[in-house]
Amino acid sequence: MEASATTVRGDRSVLERSPLGRLPDRLLKWGLTALAVLILLLIAYFFIRLIGESTTSINTFGLSFLFRNDWDASRNIYHGAALVIGTLVTSGIALMIGVPVAVAAALFLTELCPRRARPALGMLVDLLAAVPSVVYGLWGVFVLGPKLEPVERWFANTFSFIPWIGGGASAITPGNYFIAGLILAIMILPIVSAISREVIATVPSENKEAALALGATRWEMIRMAVLPYARPGITGGAMLGLGRAIGETIAVVLVIGDAPTLGHHIFSQGYTLASVIANEFGEAANVKIHASALFEAGLVLFILTLIINVIARWFVNRGARSMRAARGGSAAPGGDVMVAAQAAGVGGAE
Amino acid sequence: MSSGGMSLSRLPEISARRRRTDKVMRASLLVGTVIALIPLVLIIYYLIYKGLGTWNKNFFTTDPNGNFFGNHGGIRSAIVGTLEIVCLATLIAVPAGIGVAVWLTEYGKQSWFASLVRYFVDVMTGVPSIVFGLFIYIVLVISHTGGSGFAAWKGALAVTLLMLPIVIRSAEVVLLLVPNNLREAALALGAPRWRVITRVVLPTSLSGLITGSLLAVARGMGETAPLLFTVSTAFVLTGNLNTQMNTLPVQIYNDIKSPEPSIVARAWGAALTLVALVLILNVIARLIARRSRLG
Amino acid sequence: MRISRISAVALAVAGSLGVAACGSSSSSSSSSSSSTSSSAAAATTKAAGGTVNGAGSTFAAPIYQQWSSNLKSQGLTVNYNPVGSGTGVVDLQTATVDFAGNDQELLPKDISGMKGPVFQFPVAFGAITVSYNLPGVKSGLKLTGPVVADIFAGKITKWNDPAIASLNSGVSLPSTAITVVHRSDSSGTTAGFTTYLADVSPSWKSSIGAGKLVKWPVGTGGPGNSGVAAAVKQTTGAVGYVEQAYALVNNFTFAAIKNSTTGQYVLPTIANTSEAAAGAKVSPTLGMVTVNSASGYPITSQTFIDTYQDPCKSGGASSGTAAALKSFLTYAFGDGQKTLGSGSGQIPYAPLPASLAAMSNAQLAKLVCNGSPIS
Repeated sequence: MEASATTVRGDRSVLERSPLGRLPDRLLKWGLTALAVLILLLIAYFFIRLIGESTTSINTFGLSFLFRNDWDASRNIYHGAALVIGTLVTSGIALMIGVPVAVAAALFLTELCPRRARPALGMLVDLLAAVPSVVYGLWGVFVLGPKLEPVERWFANTFSFIPWIGGGASAITPGNYFIAGLILAIMILPIVSAISREVIATVPSENKEAALALGATRWEMIRMAVLPYARPGITGGAMLGLGRAIGETIAVVLVIGDAPTLGHHIFSQGYTLASVIANEFGEAANVKIHASALFEAGLVLFILTLIINVIARWFVNRGARSMRAARGGSAAPGGDVMVAAQAAGVGGAE
Repeated sequence: MSSGGMSLSRLPEISARRRRTDKVMRASLLVGTVIALIPLVLIIYYLIYKGLGTWNKNFFTTDPNGNFFGNHGGIRSAIVGTLEIVCLATLIAVPAGIGVAVWLTEYGKQSWFASLVRYFVDVMTGVPSIVFGLFIYIVLVISHTGGSGFAAWKGALAVTLLMLPIVIRSAEVVLLLVPNNLREAALALGAPRWRVITRVVLPTSLSGLITGSLLAVARGMGETAPLLFTVSTAFVLTGNLNTQMNTLPVQIYNDIKSPEPSIVARAWGAALTLVALVLILNVIARLIARRSRLG
Repeated sequence: MRISRISAVALAVAGSLGVAACGSSSSSSSSSSSSTSSSAAAATTKAAGGTVNGAGSTFAAPIYQQWSSNLKSQGLTVNYNPVGSGTGVVDLQTATVDFAGNDQELLPKDISGMKGPVFQFPVAFGAITVSYNLPGVKSGLKLTGPVVADIFAGKITKWNDPAIASLNSGVSLPSTAITVVHRSDSSGTTAGFTTYLADVSPSWKSSIGAGKLVKWPVGTGGPGNSGVAAAVKQTTGAVGYVEQAYALVNNFTFAAIKNSTTGQYVLPTIANTSEAAAGAKVSPTLGMVTVNSASGYPITSQTFIDTYQDPCKSGGASSGTAAALKSFLTYAFGDGQKTLGSGSGQIPYAPLPASLAAMSNAQLAKLVCNGSPIS
């Protein structure tokens, strides 16, 4: 802080600065602006390139890339319905298993957990996000897969009359949709749980206290006061988890069995859009149509996550906004619940 | 529900059924939480159980070799390679990311251009990291930029692309938390804009910035997909960033596919190393966040 | 600014770590293929120092990786990335590697994508085993070509199927379901195996065909020979096609395949592989289709090293790298061959028959750098 700020120099106001004195300000401003523009251009170039590389495939295969099932690299035919379905099935399994567990944990941590244990337990759940993808794959291949095989066998035999889940033990393969979905469920736990916790924490306590004052049990209070308000936010969190699951590559490619055909039930091998890129890009690089097809797979993935993220964000912020309005208070500084959760380190897909 | 009127008559008894439901649901929530914690415990348990046995002096001081028989070597080149690449990525991503965040909060604010930048950065967070690797492969590797095919610095660039959005977003959150009156006070006292930023805003938010950056670094360290098509792999230790280099995630990824028990054991040991590094960074980051005045 | 101070400290720490690690590493120069100063200046001994990068076949990966280990003491660094033959060929086409490991001879479409004329050098032979995981059933289960084709086509689904049982009268086969394991990546081993299947089974030839990447009707995919081996190891009832060295290292049980010419059921031993190799028919460009010879193990495959005839002009390699490449290949067809075989301490592959080694050496002499021969 300039001590001379309080003295008047000449007839210029002390708070005016000479043109030279304004130089560092100008430099900083234009420097940072240039940086922002550069980053923007880089990102734009990235998307343009991604789309550009996909055009050959888009022009050749059109919509049947998504809707026909015939992915045959030896004939250079790339219809990826099996990949799209594989992606949706594994992500669906991940949601069905992961979201209830994550929300249960979130509810427990915010409503029922003793205050002292809360930060430690919360950090433990969040730490799942820190485990690298490849370690999940390693664990899935050598621990989870073999250990769950008898369970899968029992399940397939007991429920063999249900199509797609049953089918008898003969169709079980070491890498399959179910294991991939289960690993994905574990991977999305931290993000769904973190966002749910944030959202549940913003439920106005007046509502909760009112429910309790009216004689509700704790569970009834949760059911009446917390869940309805938190539902949009939790939905948003679940969708973000979905976005993560869709893009996950490395863990999935190690446990899904890598077969470009459509498996007949959840315990048979399959493929996803992301894992086909990891496996096939090596030899596709110099084959224009193959490389383009893989880029298109990446583009489809990316558009899917984009749409899901946009919808998710809308849900989460709608929920948070309505709760802040209900509270009548000022908006939480730095507003975005999701950004806060992301800053907590639960991030994107590998 | 209350019987109406002004009397504070007794609230209706909570029926046994409701009490039971309450107990059951609360127990389910507890069970759900335990289920949520089990994977972490299991993963760490197996990492230690299967990986700790490989940790010895040789493991960290020798490179992997191609020996068909006998000793397959350690993971030294993988660890050093990861450190080299992640350091380079951090050196680019953290200053650039914080710079963009500063611009967003101090200059861009709510302008249409700033919203555009924010939107694009948001969009970047949704890109699967393998697509970054492909981008770098097409743009830099095939074209032999820099005179090399696969190269460590190209992999570092792919990791940078991954880290940038994380740094930018978390930095922006933290910078916005700096109370405006601090800025206004400094400006009122005659400090130039750049002084306000460097002497007031950044120091106040420093712990948050470090937290965000550490988390981004931890994320970058664990990624395999961006490295697969940009750095390839190598056995030997090298400091040359313009050539192929070994890294922990790629080493693990390749070793997983091996049927040889000692190589798979090496994968566990390497995974334990990687997770240890990443967890340490994460825990430090969270501790700093907890201590911070703004957190 | 404290941040830049932290960054500077981090840089210093990383830098000193890197330098210290470099300094203590026993392997010396790591010159990239772009080094402007000729790394030949660093070569003081006859064997040029330097770095050679290769990628490709997992079939032959154990060979190149072991040779890499052996050559380190001579100052030659060989990096080999086992990404599968298909990717190896592409890497050579994009000149991101100096040599490709390829189990299939170069196809016209491979050659047309190259940046210049290429050489293919046969390096060794190996057997493609049909390995299975059946507790209680020892090695040597007798199978014929057509039966193998039907198994991998999903037409035979249980181990005690009459087609298998009729060939193995003394063996009690369980009723376990057969889980087929195949490659998920583009593979020369797949090319060799499917070529054999197409030869012995007309229905395979018409419906699935042969190549590095085919559309398998059934089965799980594993990446690389090691991925297939790992999958076979983990699953009871699994059957997969795995290169000999991988099968031997894992003590796999594998089938004895009927040689249609001799009528004998042949086990994939090194001796039987060499026998098949001796009968291999070689084209003028040193190419050959999967060795389906009159004697020996029927599913024997060769493996090649592909390089540019002029790595400097076509591949952008420096003269130092070209010299290193030549040193590596000289070793490959010379002392390297002595490391292959069935003896103790030898890598379990069949070495080149003497005539083939001579042909490889003769072709090696034609390797040039920017038109002039490499010393």
